[in-house]
Amino acid sequence: MKNGSLSRLWLVVLALALALAVLGGCSKKPPVVTEPAPVEQAPVEKIAEAPKPEPVQPKGPDYENLEPSKYGIEDVFFGYDKYELDDAQMGVLNRNARILKEAGVTVMVAGHCDERGTIEYNIALGEKRAKIVRDYLVSLGVAPGKVKQTSYGESRPFNAGHTEADWAQNRRAHFERP
Amino acid sequence: MRATCFLVLAACCLGSLPALAQGGGRTEVSIEHTATAVLKTDLRVGDFRGLGDDRGVQETAARLREVLANDLLLSGLFRVGGPGFPDKELPFSWTTEATVERGSDGVLVVNLNLLSWPDRQLVLTKRYKPAPEQVRTTAHHFANEVVRTTTGSEGIALTRIAFSRGRGDRRDIYVVDYDGEGLLRLTANRTLNLCPDWSPDAARIAFTSYRGGQQGLYFLETATGAVRQVLSMEGLNLGADWSPDGKELLISLSKSGDPEVYRITPEGAIVKRLTVSPAIEISPSWAPNGRELVFTSDSSGTPQLYMIDREGAGKRRVTFEGKYNDSATLSPSGEWLAYATREDVLTQIVVMRPGGEDRRIVTDASWRNCEDPSWAPDGRHLVFASDKSGTSKLYVYDVVENGFRQLTFGNDPDITPGWSH
Repeated sequence: MKNGSLSRLWLVVLALALALAVLGGCSKKPPVVTEPAPVEQAPVEKIAEAPKPEPVQPKGPDYENLEPSKYGIEDVFFGYDKYELDDAQMGVLNRNARILKEAGVTVMVAGHCDERGTIEYNIALGEKRAKIVRDYLVSLGVAPGKVKQTSYGESRPFNAGHTEADWAQNRRAHFERP
Repeated sequence: MRATCFLVLAACCLGSLPALAQGGGRTEVSIEHTATAVLKTDLRVGDFRGLGDDRGVQETAARLREVLANDLLLSGLFRVGGPGFPDKELPFSWTTEATVERGSDGVLVVNLNLLSWPDRQLVLTKRYKPAPEQVRTTAHHFANEVVRTTTGSEGIALTRIAFSRGRGDRRDIYVVDYDGEGLLRLTANRTLNLCPDWSPDAARIAFTSYRGGQQGLYFLETATGAVRQVLSMEGLNLGADWSPDGKELLISLSKSGDPEVYRITPEGAIVKRLTVSPAIEISPSWAPNGRELVFTSDSSGTPQLYMIDREGAGKRRVTFEGKYNDSATLSPSGEWLAYATREDVLTQIVVMRPGGEDRRIVTDASWRNCEDPSWAPDGRHLVFASDKSGTSKLYVYDVVENGFRQLTFGNDPDITPGWSH
């Protein structure tokens, strides 16, 4: 299937290229010569002392304007109605903490839940998830002021489906730009 | 009591109730799923006359009649009949009549009368001068007068339901009349706004908003639409509930690290922290006496309902059935406790006595997920959200007749309703 559609695509490209070549060959327009417009020279001011070029800093990623996932931060997922951290989640957060400390960036940890259960309880549950993640990051040396937290409960699901696989994706502490 | 009352055993749906046997001024109507005996008064909606050829006058008369009849039906207290109704003749105890005319100043003048039937003694007369947009309100007002005069109860025809409408983290506070008319949007701030709760005098709606990125408690003045922040503590500022006297609110705050229940003043000052635990404590709701409250705690490992007094003492567990119980609310009479329970995958509405007796799950799997019950001031109707249609919409349940009606429509999900008092 995939190979078939690929070769069809090539055929289309080839046909287009041929058509362009033929059209190009047929058109007998005189070559258009564009004269370069005279460039107006801005009067150069005499500067007594030219500013010295600043030493160029090796520029890292623009962390503040990136979604945390773009610089290696991973979300943490939870079991149904759970808000504790296990070894695997702590492993993810250990890596996250290292990156956050290096980058010195501020992030928001938002707690999310699957659609089962009630609106209010899920907001509280999401708050608990965000809080335990934030507390753990702070315990690893991330500055408290660099990690904000909120909870959206079930109101902003990542997957719209209603299967256990969808729900598992929706039970998470998500890292986002504050 | 001069009203002829009919004993009607719980009907499955509001609407026509077949009368089977009659005798001694009472009719016993037996219907399957009988649960509670209901007394209904037969009320005739008679002539609503527009005086003169003025089209506005004629239309107003027709509108008043339609809205009033609907109000009386929705109260659950009456069988309504008369000219133009399926039941033209019932053993009526009362009739209502009206005249509408245009005064010399061009203003509509409405006279609404309640008379005994069949002897037609004038019992109640009310005169209104409604602006064109006040015609529905006029009918609602008179409906409450009729309910009070004929049954001694307070009507709900002037009540409204506030709720949250929208998707994702863009949901706004809306309000709709109890009969589904008069939909109004009250916020437009491109964030998540939810859990509206009316002050007892209906002057303010407290709600939780994520304005500014941080959850906060906000008040909306219903007269002007003005919104102000009352509280924005770190973490949750969730699910406020006005005390019956309007002097305090309950709220769940997590500034201490975990969601806990607090009493606060309407100015946002903390009066007292009522719970202390490393678990989740949320969804506080006052008992109508203002001395106790019900709330949710997962300190046992699953969310369950508890009651404590207003000082935080005397904690007792209310629910023992079900692994997930939340969103409890006591009816204004204190007779019933409504809450949401998880049955397997779906969340359903439960109504039971505050002591745990008479527990019944009023919705079933056909209702899919049902959440956030809120009582009408009559203690008989409650509104809740259900996604039975595929989208969460609001429905009204009549706890006496075990009947349902859909309150809101449209494609956007409606959640967290709060009924005015």
